[in-house]
Amino acid sequence: MSLWEGLAVALLLLSGALVVTLRNAIHAALALILNFLVLAGVYVALDARFLGFIQIIVYAGAIVVLFLFVIMLLFAAQGEVGFDPLVRSRPLAALLALGVAGALLSGLGGLKLALGKDLQGGLPQALGPLLYGDWLLVLLAVGFLLMAATVVAVALVQPSRPLDALRPEERAKEVAR
Amino acid sequence: MSFLWASALLFALGVYGVLTRRTAILVFLSIELMLNAANLSLVGFARAHGLEGQVAALMVIAIAAAEVAVGLGLIVAIFRHRESTAVDDLSELRG
Repeated sequence: MSLWEGLAVALLLLSGALVVTLRNAIHAALALILNFLVLAGVYVALDARFLGFIQIIVYAGAIVVLFLFVIMLLFAAQGEVGFDPLVRSRPLAALLALGVAGALLSGLGGLKLALGKDLQGGLPQALGPLLYGDWLLVLLAVGFLLMAATVVAVALVQPSRPLDALRPEERAKEVAR
Repeated sequence: MSFLWASALLFALGVYGVLTRRTAILVFLSIELMLNAANLSLVGFARAHGLEGQVAALMVIAIAAAEVAVGLGLIVAIFRHRESTAVDDLSELRG
């Protein structure tokens, strides 16, 4: 393992641990951004340049910002204070996570990968023919799924009645929510 | 190969987060961690099996975006009704 590889793995695991332990939700989301940025660097190093850029643009740029927006909208930054009903089940959760890690690592232990496929740098020129060839149906299905998700997200956060149908004081309350 | 090990450990961290977090938003953050661990192993396997792994990782990213849109919409809708997103309070869906 080279120095950069070790540094990247250490940063990935450290920021991942911060995501699952930090109490302040905004701090956890920022740790997740660090995790995603390191991951993008790792993708570039693994010959997946297009995916690395998409990781920064879509994940760090759009998804985590959406998270931050909702955290601020719901004043949920100090989300985990007060009585903690999970204290006693926390060691159990750690045990289960260790079990999952052990199962995955034992699976990887016996694996022999013949590396060295020509990935053409993982550039869009290489991925495009695959996306619009063998994977076209999957691409269309994912596009349809994204559209449905957008419609559902908009429908979910609609007020229960149209604003025009509300009395003025109700409308003010609805807008303030 | 070391990145495959890292992806297994990241996935386990995500499992721990999903099991111990009490706020729905933070549970979602842990799920994102698990999705990215899966993506990392897909990219790692792509080096041995060809570009299909990277295309699959792209699809996972798109599906994660859809999941986040619907999930955060649900969280906002639940917060409006209950003034809380603590998963322990949400043992039943009846309004």
